[in-house]
Amino acid sequence: MTSLYAPSADDVIQRLRPFGFFFEKSLKDLIRGIRSHNDTPEQLELFLEGQLSECRQEANSSNMEMKTNAILKLTYLEMYGYDMSWCNFHILEVMSSNKLQQKRVGYLAASQSFHKDADVLMLATNLLKKDLKYGGSNDVFKVGIALSGLSTIVTPELAKDIVDDLFLMLNSSKPYIRKKTVTALYKVFLEYPEALQSNFDNFTSKLEDPDKSVVSATISVVCELSKKNPAPFIKLSPLLYEILIDINDNWIIIRLLKLFTNLSKIEPKLKGRLLPKIVELMDSTNAASVLYESVNCIISGNMLDENDYDVAFQCLEILNRFCNSQDSNLRYISCVLFYKIGKINSNFISQYDELIMKLISDIDISIRLKAIELIEGIVSEDNLKTIVSTLVKQFVGDEVAIIETNRGTSKEIPIVISDNYKIKIVNVILNICGMDNYSNVDNFDWYNAVLYDLAIVSLDLNEDDLGTKIGNQLRNLMIRVPDMRHTTIVNIIKITSLDSVEVRLPTILESCIWSLGEYATYLENGDALIKLFIKKGLHMPHSTQDAVIIAVVKLFSSWCTRNSDQIDYIKDILEQMVDFLTQLNFSKSFEVQEMSIQMSEILKLTLEALEEQSDEIPLLLSDVLPSFFNTYELTPISLGTQKQLPKGIDFDIDLPFLSQEDLDNILDDQETLAEEDMDIYDSDRFSLVSDDKNYGHEASYEDGSSDESETDHFNDTYKDFDEEKYNEERKKETLSNPFYLDEPTGDGNHYKFSDILSTDNEQREKSLNAMEIIKVNDNSHGSQKINDKKKKKKKTKKVKVLADQTIVIPGVTEVDASSKNNKSQSLPNPISSKKISLRMHTKLEDFNFDEQNKNNSDEDQALEHLRSKFEEQDINNDNPNTSNEDEVIVIKKKKKKKKSKSKEDGTSKKKKKERKSKEGSLEATPQL
Amino acid sequence: MSNIKYLLLVSRQGKVRLMQWYTPLTPKQKTKIINDLTPLILARKPKMCNILEYNDHKVVYRRYASLYFICGITNEQDNELLTLEIIHRFVETMDTYFGNVCELDIIFHFDKAYDILNELIMCDGSMAESSKKEILNNVHAMDAIESNDHLDRILS
Repeated sequence: MTSLYAPSADDVIQRLRPFGFFFEKSLKDLIRGIRSHNDTPEQLELFLEGQLSECRQEANSSNMEMKTNAILKLTYLEMYGYDMSWCNFHILEVMSSNKLQQKRVGYLAASQSFHKDADVLMLATNLLKKDLKYGGSNDVFKVGIALSGLSTIVTPELAKDIVDDLFLMLNSSKPYIRKKTVTALYKVFLEYPEALQSNFDNFTSKLEDPDKSVVSATISVVCELSKKNPAPFIKLSPLLYEILIDINDNWIIIRLLKLFTNLSKIEPKLKGRLLPKIVELMDSTNAASVLYESVNCIISGNMLDENDYDVAFQCLEILNRFCNSQDSNLRYISCVLFYKIGKINSNFISQYDELIMKLISDIDISIRLKAIELIEGIVSEDNLKTIVSTLVKQFVGDEVAIIETNRGTSKEIPIVISDNYKIKIVNVILNICGMDNYSNVDNFDWYNAVLYDLAIVSLDLNEDDLGTKIGNQLRNLMIRVPDMRHTTIVNIIKITSLDSVEVRLPTILESCIWSLGEYATYLENGDALIKLFIKKGLHMPHSTQDAVIIAVVKLFSSWCTRNSDQIDYIKDILEQMVDFLTQLNFSKSFEVQEMSIQMSEILKLTLEALEEQSDEIPLLLSDVLPSFFNTYELTPISLGTQKQLPKGIDFDIDLPFLSQEDLDNILDDQETLAEEDMDIYDSDRFSLVSDDKNYGHEASYEDGSSDESETDHFNDTYKDFDEEKYNEERKKETLSNPFYLDEPTGDGNHYKFSDILSTDNEQREKSLNAMEIIKVNDNSHGSQKINDKKKKKKKTKKVKVLADQTIVIPGVTEVDASSKNNKSQSLPNPISSKKISLRMHTKLEDFNFDEQNKNNSDEDQALEHLRSKFEEQDINNDNPNTSNEDEVIVIKKKKKKKKSKSKEDGTSKKKKKERKSKEGSLEATPQL
Repeated sequence: MSNIKYLLLVSRQGKVRLMQWYTPLTPKQKTKIINDLTPLILARKPKMCNILEYNDHKVVYRRYASLYFICGITNEQDNELLTLEIIHRFVETMDTYFGNVCELDIIFHFDKAYDILNELIMCDGSMAESSKKEILNNVHAMDAIESNDHLDRILS
């Protein structure tokens, strides 16, 4: 402190200019101190702690100067994250000082620190009332400061107390005060909407204030208020329209446009007057922000019809210009508006595909992120491949942006493609390709290749969701595009044998493995896959293990019917499988446990049968096992169909499926039946499917013969095969089999690869195996080619894609299938994760301006109680309508109260009528 | 009309120089916003646009020399360009007030910077006064009154 009074040149100046003399020095000391102790965080911390305790003492001192100084320093330290609410009372003291400087510091500190601190605010009320009194020329700023301060700390109670003073000040002779009052009233209205209701005209008359800054402030406030609750301001629209026409201040025009946006949302009639004016404005102005706001007003104010191509194109032209400008901000905001226009009618933006493609390659990633959302609006069969290839190229990420520096030289800055953006690209590609049941994809070979690329890219993205989505796409392709199953299955094998896919993208495996199992008939050497899965299976996550168990059995069943001569080898494989499954019997996951026990028991039985009968494969293996899986062809069903299943279907569980006699008959006829089936079964439908697929549904009756299968196929008791029953059965099956569910049920992440050392070898083996499989597959594909050349030719043409099957169950209403379809047309909503929400809820939002009073519910209940009493008496009362004028008035008020209450309840007129009659009784018995 | 939710001044080193919150937030949320935004914005390249999305709202920023002016605005309602204009107006006004303003001016006279900000933007984050002249008049007038206060103090 001694240095403070040292006669340096600086201090001489300070003395000549007494303002800020003491304060500045001290705050400056603090700031200098912070700057000199900035070497390590610990050092700074220590210094600040010391300063804080000093401030604490100073704040407690009785010297106002010292106190103010301390508060100022504390306000500064608050920026470093030190709480200062403990000194709220000291702040209050400083606020009440007569000196403007101190008052200013006090209000500044208050605005930073008084967050709804009820105790302090109660005390602050009187102070504010005093400060708001205008008494002389120098008081203008005192009032101004108080108003600014008030608006930051206002609470409902404070608002209630202070609102009358504020309305008085609206008529002040000083524009400065009127302006500040108007803005301060905004916060008051938010907390205490009743004030606006009762002084609405008084307040809105400020729109016609002679001073422009007051008008401007009023428009701002009305605009903000209308954001929360536009209804009461509709009646102002003629006046506002006049202002819009007369004024030429861009600041105000933008605010008016914002305001009209809010109003037009709830009052469509405004469009007729406004739209021509806004279009005119767009033609006449050059200011980018006004143009932007006009377009925004048209779009957000619901003024753009789906069919209004003229206006849409005018808006789009402006946006197009913005998008081509050098200013990246303009490009960004136009992208956002483009998206909104596209949401109204995606045809509007479809012709801007070139522009959008350009934006996708913008040097600014945040613009790309916006533009990529637009892609779904412009995608078509013709440009799909271009779009996808553009996007896929961006994964490589070797682009550079050339930036020209001031000196005329240019330097290259690599564009960093964030993972976030990559994830979005993958999602968008999957979306646009899968749109409308693959209507844009004309070449599924290409799509398979794309999926493979995406899978490889996703390996590094560390986003489990992508694996699931890509897996789903692959599975969908398998199911929906029967002609391409050979290509797809090769692709799936390639993906499952990718390097360390189990570690980096485990979620993709579930669908892939399921597909391999389900379409095992397309594979010739299923044994290789079985061995592979057995080796890998134990280390996979539980949800994938689920899929593995069933896939292994499916693979096995189809493989051994194909290779029924190699009995010994089959036995070997079977033993390995039983071994594998028994290990899983003790899995932590209940699903895995159950499934593995079920399957291992069946396989054990099969093994026994195989040992008994060593010359050929037993019936259990040749017929029963395949019938588990091949009974019905899987077809895609539409979303929600499963839910439509009527609940509570009764089954007679005790009734045997087959009597012993039936069983014997079937066993006798077994051979002939199987052969017949092959002939009978529709060969068109299964044309690509190899022989063993052709088990008719009759074969499923065999199920009854083995006890274990009871759980799976009890529904086979339906004997007559009509369409409806078929569907129901199918769905039963779907329900009972967890592998038809889309979502992975287990925990996909807890997954350790125990022996990392051996992975390399395994991988090599695995890929070798995969090669083998692919080879074999190519062969089978080749033979297929010879079999039907027509199919081969078709490949370049549009491939048939199965559509969703809708199953109508009588008596059950269809579950929002239609709304689902609508969604696919329009653009999706951008995903936003909400953590910190800036939306604050204010009372104004729910405030009903038609109500006269808000009454408290206690009072209401008491009234209700009284009323019921009167009602009882009413029965005895003969003459209810004798009343004088005064009473009628009283009653009217009560009615209004009632009205408001009934509104809250949501029940309406009916109640009111009832009450009217009750109130009649009230009139008659005033003495009660 | 711009409804700013918060305004932060952050230096190139990531130090907060000024912060004004127009929405009640808990200290924790405030720290989170600052901690999240600072690296995000400092990492942006010069040619990138000045708008980014953060949580449920947009953030508009502009760099002046070593200082970043960061504004949080609501997603649907606000005009990003106007917000940039307001930031610019703030800087212009400070520039005139301090005479070629630099970061040090704002550090040492942070209360003055707040005063100017309060004249420019009202409590609710809306623009109160767009005229630079008017703001400066008001601030100077207030300074003059303060000087008088001090004169009184010294004389007494």
